[in-house]
Amino acid sequence: MSERVTASTELGRAVARPWSLRAGFDRFGMILILPLLLGLGAILSPAFVSAGNLSNLLLQFAPLAIVAMGQALVMIVRGLDLSVASMMATAAVIATSFSGSDRDVTAIFAVALLIGVAIGLLNGLLVTKRQVSPFLATLATMILLQGFRFAYTQGAPSGNVPPMLRVLGAEKFHGVPYNALMLLLLAGALAIVLHRSAFGRRILIVGGNPVTARLFGIRSDLIMIACYVISSCLAVVAGLILSGYVGLVDNWVGQGYELDSIVACVVGQVSLQGGRGSILGALTGAAVIVIISNEVLLLGVPIQVQLIIKGTVIVVAAALYARRDITSGQ
Amino acid sequence: MSAAVGARRQLPPWLRNNAGLAGVLALIGAVSVAGAVASDRFLSFNNFLNVFEQTTDLALVSIGQTLTILSGGIDLSVGSLISLTSCLTSGLINNNPDRVMGVVIAVLALGILVGFINAGLVVALRVHPLIVTLGMGAALQGVTLLYTLGPVGRVPRGFNFLAYGRVDGLPFGAVIAVLLCVLIALLLRYLPLGRQIYALGDDASSARLVGLRRTRILMLVYGASGFCCAATGLYLVARFGVGQPYTGVNYTLASITPVVLGGTLLSGGKGGVIGTLLGAFLIALLNNLLNFMDVSKHYQLVAQAVIIILAVSVYVERRRTV
Repeated sequence: MSERVTASTELGRAVARPWSLRAGFDRFGMILILPLLLGLGAILSPAFVSAGNLSNLLLQFAPLAIVAMGQALVMIVRGLDLSVASMMATAAVIATSFSGSDRDVTAIFAVALLIGVAIGLLNGLLVTKRQVSPFLATLATMILLQGFRFAYTQGAPSGNVPPMLRVLGAEKFHGVPYNALMLLLLAGALAIVLHRSAFGRRILIVGGNPVTARLFGIRSDLIMIACYVISSCLAVVAGLILSGYVGLVDNWVGQGYELDSIVACVVGQVSLQGGRGSILGALTGAAVIVIISNEVLLLGVPIQVQLIIKGTVIVVAAALYARRDITSGQ
Repeated sequence: MSAAVGARRQLPPWLRNNAGLAGVLALIGAVSVAGAVASDRFLSFNNFLNVFEQTTDLALVSIGQTLTILSGGIDLSVGSLISLTSCLTSGLINNNPDRVMGVVIAVLALGILVGFINAGLVVALRVHPLIVTLGMGAALQGVTLLYTLGPVGRVPRGFNFLAYGRVDGLPFGAVIAVLLCVLIALLLRYLPLGRQIYALGDDASSARLVGLRRTRILMLVYGASGFCCAATGLYLVARFGVGQPYTGVNYTLASITPVVLGGTLLSGGKGGVIGTLLGAFLIALLNNLLNFMDVSKHYQLVAQAVIIILAVSVYVERRRTV
């Protein structure tokens, strides 16, 4: 019993074997898939490894990666956030509802983040205080946001994205997109929070073993609510970046990101059962999705096949990890 | 906690066992009263038939979805399967009346087959149904788009009887949905396999210990869900006269709402299809009411979300994990 309790929390594992090769491989092994995919891409189409294409790849990577990190936090506490795509579109609509000049950027961020916090709180409170299943709670907020957005825009949003957001979303600084720099900043901060802080350990314990969490005196509800709020806020940031990248806004900016972010997390070894996952994993998963989409496009394969490949990848990845969990006795 | 238990004890048993049904009926009652106040035409028999007819598509998919949720899973491939079957139906029939029967049977069989594949993958790969059906949904959407990128084919004129036909004044499609629902409700209640679905959804490890055959049960529920999707695809073709590659996309998540409104637990093991049918009716009734009140179509989504949040936070009965 005690072995199970410790084995299922990151805390226990870190204390037992600080830096063994196996533990290192377990935690960081999945990142090896990236050079493999990149190498495969280079062999299949030379255009893939050109500097221009790689930096474009980074440009598309950032929004998905940012959403996936939030999704990972929610999944670690045994949740799921289906409202992220709706949140992204809402943030994008907010970006265009001001005058469209740079002096409004602060206001845009403030209003959008405020709504993000409110929606995150609603999700978290429904899940913790009313014990609504996360799937359902976030589905309801997704529909709610969608309804308000439609009502507000009367179907077709108009207005301009401020130049500063467009720089953030689409421009590059010496070949490195600004949004990738922003992603780096966010990822660094979140990685430290999740893997190196007391709060992060609590997140992993709450997800890994709620009973242990309660025995430790951790206030699980607060931790879970915080995860939902962080996820919504990250979706807001991703939505603003994406609105800058696209340049014009409709009601469906970010459509599909809720499922893509879940796929990214599953591919990146964030457990659907909760308790296990890392920021690096979410980033790796998002990178896999973006690279595969890009390669499929460059190969001239019909875009429809992309969907079939995506479907196969998610099932196969989940199956591989499920098998490993069973053999390692978890 | 003890206060809540005490309150529950005071409820009569029939109400305690059917709290979900009672909840959705109460909501239907409330919406009807609001409608009667808003317009004198709301409570007419014609309007009732109208709403009943508009319930059909959502009711059909949600009935199948109820079964997968009861078994402790979920089917997120429904939207793509509806799109695929509707495209195949109109594309293959292509206005040739001789092919109608064959294509309808083939499409229904395809639906069941996809369900079987879903179940097979869940069992063989030991992956959560959420992931398996999500992947299946993406793949099926890809297949649909490979088949056609736009509206395809045509169906003979008589085909729209499924959507617009009336038998003794009752809408044909909706009657079929109700009959299907009653049939499944009876099977769930009286067939051993039906009870086993509940057992599996309630506690998968106990179900295994008493020797229930998980594979068989899952084949049944996902097969049934696939069948319902194919039926919905046929209905949509009948309604629009043509199959479209994105026609089903909204049904994936929409199909879950009536299930939950009808009192079925998302964690499985408790609920039933009659509640789902009433849940679908409630949504159609709500949209109808908002139409009568001249509320913008955009607010229908807000109202729907509020109803979901209300419903699920009122009848909480999930077991605490701690």
